Amino acid sequence: MAYKFRRQIFGFMDLLRFKRMVPVRENKLAEAPATPLPLTYRVNETAKILHPGLQTAELVAVEDVAADMKTYTFRLSKKMIFRAGQYVTVGHNVGESFVSRPYAVSSSPFTALRKGELSVTVKKAGFFSGWLYENAKPGDSFTIGDPSGFFFYDGVRDRSDIVGIAGGSGITPFVCMARAIAEGSENFNLTLLYGARTQADLAFKAELDRLAGNNFKVVYILSDENKPGYENGFITAEIIKKYAPESYSVMLCGPQAMYDFADKQLAQLGVGGKYVRKEANCLGNRDVKPEKYNLTVHIRDEVFKVAADSRETLLAAMERAGLKVPSKCRAGGCGYCHSRLIDGKFSIAGGDKRRLADSKFGYIHPCCTYPDSDMEIEVPQGE
Amino acid sequence: MDRYDAVVIGAGNGGLVAAIRLLQGGAKVLLVEKHNLPGGFATSFRRGRFEFEASLHELNDFGPEGNGGDVRDLFDSLGVTDKIEWVPIPDAYRVIIRRENLDALMPFGKQAFIDKMERYVPGSRQSVERFFELGEQIRAAQAYTNSRNGAVDSSVMVREYGNYVRTGSYSVNEVLASLRMPQRARDIINAYWCYLGAHCDDLSFTHYVSMVIRYITRGAMMPKMRSHEISLAMCERIRELGGDIWFNTEAAKILTGNDGGVEGVVLKGGRQIKTRHVIANCSPHVVYGKMMDGVPEKIVRATNARKFAGRGFSMFLGLNKSADELGIENHNYFLYDTSDSVKQYELMKNIDTNRVQATVCLNRADPGCSPDGTAIMYFTTLYMSDCWGDVRPEDYARTKEKVANIMIDRFERDTGSKIRDSIEEISVATPMTYAHYCGHPEGGIYGYESQYWDGLNPRLQMMAHDYMTRGLRFAGGYSMRLSGYSSAYFSGDITGRQTVGDMKKEG
Repeated sequence: MAYKFRRQIFGFMDLLRFKRMVPVRENKLAEAPATPLPLTYRVNETAKILHPGLQTAELVAVEDVAADMKTYTFRLSKKMIFRAGQYVTVGHNVGESFVSRPYAVSSSPFTALRKGELSVTVKKAGFFSGWLYENAKPGDSFTIGDPSGFFFYDGVRDRSDIVGIAGGSGITPFVCMARAIAEGSENFNLTLLYGARTQADLAFKAELDRLAGNNFKVVYILSDENKPGYENGFITAEIIKKYAPESYSVMLCGPQAMYDFADKQLAQLGVGGKYVRKEANCLGNRDVKPEKYNLTVHIRDEVFKVAADSRETLLAAMERAGLKVPSKCRAGGCGYCHSRLIDGKFSIAGGDKRRLADSKFGYIHPCCTYPDSDMEIEVPQGE
Repeated sequence: MDRYDAVVIGAGNGGLVAAIRLLQGGAKVLLVEKHNLPGGFATSFRRGRFEFEASLHELNDFGPEGNGGDVRDLFDSLGVTDKIEWVPIPDAYRVIIRRENLDALMPFGKQAFIDKMERYVPGSRQSVERFFELGEQIRAAQAYTNSRNGAVDSSVMVREYGNYVRTGSYSVNEVLASLRMPQRARDIINAYWCYLGAHCDDLSFTHYVSMVIRYITRGAMMPKMRSHEISLAMCERIRELGGDIWFNTEAAKILTGNDGGVEGVVLKGGRQIKTRHVIANCSPHVVYGKMMDGVPEKIVRATNARKFAGRGFSMFLGLNKSADELGIENHNYFLYDTSDSVKQYELMKNIDTNRVQATVCLNRADPGCSPDGTAIMYFTTLYMSDCWGDVRPEDYARTKEKVANIMIDRFERDTGSKIRDSIEEISVATPMTYAHYCGHPEGGIYGYESQYWDGLNPRLQMMAHDYMTRGLRFAGGYSMRLSGYSSAYFSGDITGRQTVGDMKKEG
């Protein structure tokens, strides 16, 4: 005979209890207080400080820091904190288009949190950085994006001694780290090897010298100048060995040529794999035969036809046409511009960093995708 | 252009299924999602050479072809099963409670499970067999309830599904005690409790047993390309059926008319969409708390009565050695301090005392999920209070790191495998992360807790009562099926079909 469950001595009591579940719950729902429901919650408010989203910010100061390099300081409209080494996008209208670019933050995390200010330090190099250099002035309004990227120290993964290798404007995340170590928002030891062409190209030298102490050391390596107090040449295995502690993780930020050179040096030292991390660089134009293509863009229920060029990313084509589309890392990795391919042929630069299912179901990252034919895509609305 | 039969707010598991059901019912549907990706928690992300699963440990009740469970049947009727490649999970679970000298690896398959239990706990066989017998009867009763959309004939219930009715009001602990299951066997069989997020004095037995027998009798599956594959498959299906999906589109307000019912949705930025039907794949706290004006007192009270379930914390590791090299033997682990779930639940209220983890090594289900010579692991716990609300922004990174270390230490100590020096990538999601991406209050990932009075049974019986605003229904972890992947899918199925019914009634 099948098993008959019984908990109460009198079995019908079990049935009675079952019947009472609904009235019991009805009462519980009816008897709860009528106090207004919360508009927000503590965790959700902290989340807003960690991920404030796109905000407007007033440029309050512009300062020359080295040849062709300026620091732009913004007054934030939203409270924010980030990890030293992260970047934000800085955006502004240029002509008919809204343009934004990712720049490593050079000011410290607590300056953002407690003073409501954030700085980026940018070298005049490309379209938007050139525009900034010539045009940006205090009082102008900009957009600042969410703190992003993974170029920061991780106490679980990394060794507590970090060797930082900076080339040119790649110094900015390390300036932030040095400041963060000094103020206590980051806790690790940084030995910074800072390479530049000449002394005049070094940014933040006075401050870095002042911050140098127990947890932070800095060495300058000039490639085109031989001066006392500076190393001369490139950041070689020999230089790294001379200044690095016994065991360490390496973080690199600079141009691709520097990464290629450093990889060989680090290989000689037997340092690689999880102990070496590089910040990604924005993808620019590709060197192919110029071809004109038509790009059809769906944003919600609107359709736009824009001109695309085989040399330019789809993102650049859309921005040029004045479309408001999402963009963040411009290196194919963050996925913020995640869009659906409807039709067309394309190439991906910088290694395919899409999710597996994105490739399967036809999604692309326009910031690293170049057209090889006319294309049709569906893109989420930009902020 | 700005008029839809129905707007689904949120492309989480519940919202995606609801949208497909609405479309299959002939409705013109707009699905809006504030994030740029579908799935809610059902997504993945890349770090270096790894692609991490964001949340799914194993999909319950899917089953292999030929022994398909209810989720497979649902996916079949949605038309998405074949869009997804599936991988089976090898074993049910390994539960380790070192302090109590408990280390049990439980297999899938009813007979194998009962036999293994008898080996670990001699004398447990009859009670475990009865557990499964009750489970099958409860499953049949649930199928009957579903076929009647909750409006059951009570005489049929008592006659045909007597054990369902007799066990229906009791907690897991109450029923297992009545089955005279030996304590050690109860400790092992209760291991899944953290998947439902309420301790076994609160947790409804019928809810728990129906989950356990579905796992054990049908096995569990994973989509090969992480849960992102399921989410994108559902999006593709929605588009095939003519639905619109707008990402980066937050619903700011739900507009109501003179009858208090739904008239439209206002998107962030001000654009208005006219509709008489909304399925909200988010919490009633958020909908009634900030998306609607003039909410009746009865609804405010009913919403205030609910208790937030666990707030999520997950650590994702990309390891530069293989699972074999690291000595990680199993796919999923439950590591507890105590088998007393009530005591354990108390310890989970505090960041410093919570050491529970449900841990997965994905390579044990799919060896090719990461490059040769590497492994992917993820570790999840729940906080049973708003303790992360005390963490200041300036202490946030440090607190994350502290919990990450707690998790690594426990895993190494309990399993003997050494992983710390092999961490190539790490990512940590906290209640703040979940609050950011999904907007849930306090960073909850489990909806409303399955309290003694607010369990699956009364919720299912009270679907009509809980439908309090004309045109507004809820899907996802906060709704009638409670939390978890399969539950969220079913909630979307139920609520989507109910809304199609609402539309037909309106004519």
